[in-house]
Amino acid sequence: MENDAKQPNKVLIGIIIVVVLAAVTAGIVFFTREQDAGAPASDTANTNTPSNTSGSSNESTGSYKDGSYQANGNYQTPGGSEKVTVKVTLAKGIIESVELERDPTTREAEEYQGKFESGYKAQVVGKNIDEVRLSRVAGSSLTSGGFNQALESIKEEARA
Amino acid sequence: MIYQFEAIGTLWSIESVSVLPHDLKDKIQNRITEFDVVYSRFREDSLVAKLRQPGVYTFPNDVKKLLNFYEALYQVTDGAVTPLIGETLEHAGYDSEYSLQPKSGIATPPAWRDAMTWNDVNVEVKQPIVLDVGAAGKGYLVDIVAEVLKNHTITDFVIDASGDIYHYGQGVERVGLENPYDEGKVVGVAKLKNKSLCASSSNRRKWGDGDDWHHIVNAKTGKPVQDVVATWAVADSTMVADGLATALFFVPFHALADWDFEGVRLLASGTIEKTDNFVGELFI
Repeated sequence: MENDAKQPNKVLIGIIIVVVLAAVTAGIVFFTREQDAGAPASDTANTNTPSNTSGSSNESTGSYKDGSYQANGNYQTPGGSEKVTVKVTLAKGIIESVELERDPTTREAEEYQGKFESGYKAQVVGKNIDEVRLSRVAGSSLTSGGFNQALESIKEEARA
Repeated sequence: MIYQFEAIGTLWSIESVSVLPHDLKDKIQNRITEFDVVYSRFREDSLVAKLRQPGVYTFPNDVKKLLNFYEALYQVTDGAVTPLIGETLEHAGYDSEYSLQPKSGIATPPAWRDAMTWNDVNVEVKQPIVLDVGAAGKGYLVDIVAEVLKNHTITDFVIDASGDIYHYGQGVERVGLENPYDEGKVVGVAKLKNKSLCASSSNRRKWGDGDDWHHIVNAKTGKPVQDVVATWAVADSTMVADGLATALFFVPFHALADWDFEGVRLLASGTIEKTDNFVGELFI
């Protein structure tokens, strides 16, 4: 799609997810419990009527019932405000999945500054991302979180 | 509207003009899970996990296209690219726990015909194998998800599964080719319209003493490839773009003449090369 916006910033998404999840566990975010007509009863059936409606706060921390929760919010970027809808699915008290919907009607002004790795080659440098009109950037597959975490814990052990 | 979620260990993003309806999102998630449960070597409950025992296994219909393509890649790369690379990767530490501790004396995979044959959807395993479809599997799944969108009459969309990109419909995607050594820079731009692009690079997942292991392994030598650091391929399907981007670590452009594609390779020496038909520009 023709799109003048900068590449949806992967770091930004990661930050959004972390912020939302932190807000969920702190019980701060206003959630509406998704009502799925005809959804099969799960074996962790919630017999309590969800007390959340948009606009009311959930006072209890850490006691969200299993199911899907949706939150609408605004995320402040340096370029302005962006609407985000987050859907979080809880199963047995653990976050099973997070899905986002973003409406990038505002441009993200913040630039992502990557770190220089050792072995940086001087011959092919290329241009700064902000100098080039791009829809998105394609590098290698984003290293999965699990891989990164594993690597970090191995390095930690090695340091000890 | 951008719909984002994590699946098969990576971030996915589907851009479309309008919001995708709930039932379509569910279909997409279900189809991805269905694929993962068959093809993931990181799951104990997957169908490919069963291939660790000799026998005959019935796969879903989608296996034919994938295995046919893998067989062609195997031929043109003279065995460097093979789906039997899974055990080598596991021994190197790239296993389901990401233990990342290479064993000593890591074996190369068996020759394809020695280990596995197939007929239609039935796969016969003659010796225990660990199937890894990393070279083309994600691209194939992107194509499958694209079909789900099209069947729901979504006419304009871009799927980006972190380096596997599918454009369909209006507009032109200008895709920056990320410098693997510096995420803030792009070495070129590919212009994509109703095509797929895959990016692959060897320096993002590195482990071992002195970082001498990474995930793009030459099956003939059993060692990670050293002379090519990043590749990009553009083709009519994401499966082909993904597989060719992998193959380009092992063979030059002309070896892949059986396919209609555009390609860019960044070598460890620092030079960059492209096919004559590459639609886009390189910043050199």
